[in-house]
Amino acid sequence: MFLTRSEYDRGVNTFSPEGRLFQVEYALEAIKLGSTSIGIQCEEGVVLVVEKRLTSTLLEPSSIQKVVEIDYHLICAMSGLTADSRTIIDHARIETQNHRFNYDEPMGIESTVQSICDLALRFGENRKDGEERMSRPFGVALLIAGVDERGPQLYHSDPSGTFTQYHAKAIGAGSEGAQTTLQEKYSKTLSLQETIQLALTTLKQVMEEAVTTTNVELAVISKKEKKYKIYNKEELEAVIATLGQ
Amino acid sequence: MMCEEAMIDRDDYAKRVRKERKNRIMIEINFDKISSSIDSNHEEDITRDLKYLSTTHFELPPNSKPGEFLDQVWDHPNAPKPIEMAHGTTTLAFVFNGGVIVAVDSKSTQGSYVASRTVKKVIEITPNLLGTMAGGAADCSFWERELGRRCRLYELRNKELISVAAASKILANIVYSYKGYGLSMGTMITGWDKTGPCLYYVDNDGTRLKGQRFSVGSGSTYAYGVLDSGYKPDLTDQEAQELGRRAVYHATHRDAMSGGFINVYHVKETGWVKISSDDCFKLYQKYYNVKPINDNNNNA
Amino acid sequence: MMMDDLKLTALPEKEVPISHHRFEPYVDNGGTVLAVAGSNYCIVAGDTRMSDGGYGIQTRHYTKVFKLTDKCVIATSGMQADTIALRKRLDTQLRQYERDHGKSMSTPAIAQFLSNTLYHKRFFPFYTFNLVAGVDEDGIGCVWTYDAVGSHERVRFSSQGSGNQLIQPLLDNQVGKFNQQIVDGPRELSAEQALSLVKDAITSAGERDIYTGDFADIVTIDQKGVHFEKFDLKLD
Repeated sequence: MFLTRSEYDRGVNTFSPEGRLFQVEYALEAIKLGSTSIGIQCEEGVVLVVEKRLTSTLLEPSSIQKVVEIDYHLICAMSGLTADSRTIIDHARIETQNHRFNYDEPMGIESTVQSICDLALRFGENRKDGEERMSRPFGVALLIAGVDERGPQLYHSDPSGTFTQYHAKAIGAGSEGAQTTLQEKYSKTLSLQETIQLALTTLKQVMEEAVTTTNVELAVISKKEKKYKIYNKEELEAVIATLGQ
Repeated sequence: MMCEEAMIDRDDYAKRVRKERKNRIMIEINFDKISSSIDSNHEEDITRDLKYLSTTHFELPPNSKPGEFLDQVWDHPNAPKPIEMAHGTTTLAFVFNGGVIVAVDSKSTQGSYVASRTVKKVIEITPNLLGTMAGGAADCSFWERELGRRCRLYELRNKELISVAAASKILANIVYSYKGYGLSMGTMITGWDKTGPCLYYVDNDGTRLKGQRFSVGSGSTYAYGVLDSGYKPDLTDQEAQELGRRAVYHATHRDAMSGGFINVYHVKETGWVKISSDDCFKLYQKYYNVKPINDNNNNA
Repeated sequence: MMMDDLKLTALPEKEVPISHHRFEPYVDNGGTVLAVAGSNYCIVAGDTRMSDGGYGIQTRHYTKVFKLTDKCVIATSGMQADTIALRKRLDTQLRQYERDHGKSMSTPAIAQFLSNTLYHKRFFPFYTFNLVAGVDEDGIGCVWTYDAVGSHERVRFSSQGSGNQLIQPLLDNQVGKFNQQIVDGPRELSAEQALSLVKDAITSAGERDIYTGDFADIVTIDQKGVHFEKFDLKLD
């Protein structure tokens, strides 16, 4: 009676008889192919670390950027089809800047994430004239870190348009192992320095190569300054040196 | 220019405006929505209000030219008191070897009434760009804030600061696309980019000029007199700041529409810094060595 | 992508049949509003007379001060119809903001938003003269004063409307202490002093301005919330 899976997995508008949207589930799979990103929130701020896959020695590492700025108080890391994130990030940047324009205040973290997810949900909709057509779900998951009047926050959003707040979350290829480690090691009393170390050691465990200044990116957004900081080579080197073996 | 305008009758004008709008890149008017805007009920009102929040939009007066509409409204015996928009000003900016000096007064007038003595006429567009305000206060501050939004988006997308040339061009393009709508704006956009210190003058006609020295507003002629006579490119930072301050001060002394406080900004390679904010009256005492009749406690 | 958000849309022109009557969209219903802010309070007053633009009085009970949030009021003089339209827009947005962001709009945010709302009618302005008054996130009193098309400034005190030119100099002198010789420097008014000054000011405007009178709404805003009271002015 039920048709085989392949007959229901072509369109984004069609549920399978079991109530599944296969295209969305496949999009979720795409993320598991991506490089690992880890985000941890502590009392003093939020930390994001991302693995950069340097598939060739001829590749210029600085041309890969996996932690991007949305606004001064908001950054995000991504896993999956990173090209898709460009659309999302640009949308988020416009939203946050419009919010500043309209209300003369930085946009709240949750409302920004909400507006990102509104965009993620638009696949398959009939757009009106002039609006861009989006034929498939995004193949990218984001870790969004920010500080607003509610304090430091970390959110995870995925292709289905769902968003969830986390204390610590890993996405991408190494996410399962990393999430288990985070589960064990995370404590609410971590200082910002300890959080950075936890994030990096966790990433180190799931990475195939050794951690160097070129193949990871580290960004911190602290509650005190309410402004993000992406670590440069020297600063990153100093942090890596403290990891030990 | 004016004659040409006058010869065109209303229908022609409407047609022309429509044609012009279609050709615009910056401004798109969506004619598909005409039907939905008529006899809208309350709920539609709300959705419309929300929808237009994210894009800048303007409601136009029905059946008349936007630029002439208000004048027509006040032009009959039973008309209410005309809306006086806040106006001003003496503003000046000049480039010298140490950067750009921006000096402005702070008086805002609505007709002959002094609306405020404490207006911020230097608009901090981004940490690296400054704009000045002359003409309609609302026009200047609104569009320079919009410019700030676009410059910030440019910075996020391109990972580098926008050049002063590009920023001033964006502003000039915006106001040019509203030609005939009655905007009133005379502004100087300054900053320090890859090419060094930079100064542009932009006004509501769409004029955009690069230059060394500009002064805009009702007191500008007086300010030019002092500025041009004291200017040389190799002024020290202090001399330059004092020149800007003095030029605006002497303008406020002769122009009743200018006054209040004199704010001086200095654009340096690292961004702009606010140098000073002085009460005109105190500067008067200083420049003319006048002893105060009563110790002035002039705060605002 | 870049071009996309450079898009500015004007509302479509309505297809109005060409009329030979003069288009008279505005009437000035008069009235005066004023506000004084201190370090932990803000006091607002507005009379309740509404004139017909000439010498007629349409009602003696038209409130010009509206509560927007628990920390903020808007006081509007000018044309009543435009006031209603403006307030409806603000209300809609305030409710939407509350749903979107899970908090009520702060007073500084309302101030910026009102400026944009007014400017969006730049080419067909609302005939309204506004004050936004309240306390900010830290409980500090604040007042914003506007022109009809959204130019705004944060001040310590201001007035708007038909009695503006009578009241503003009084406030400059009594609250701002402009050009006065005070040995210790000017001292801030206490909430009680400000309240009594505001009452005096609106009473005086009622004496000399035909568009101001009847009753006054006196509104006190502090951390505890917005408190309205009525106050008698002359009825002649």
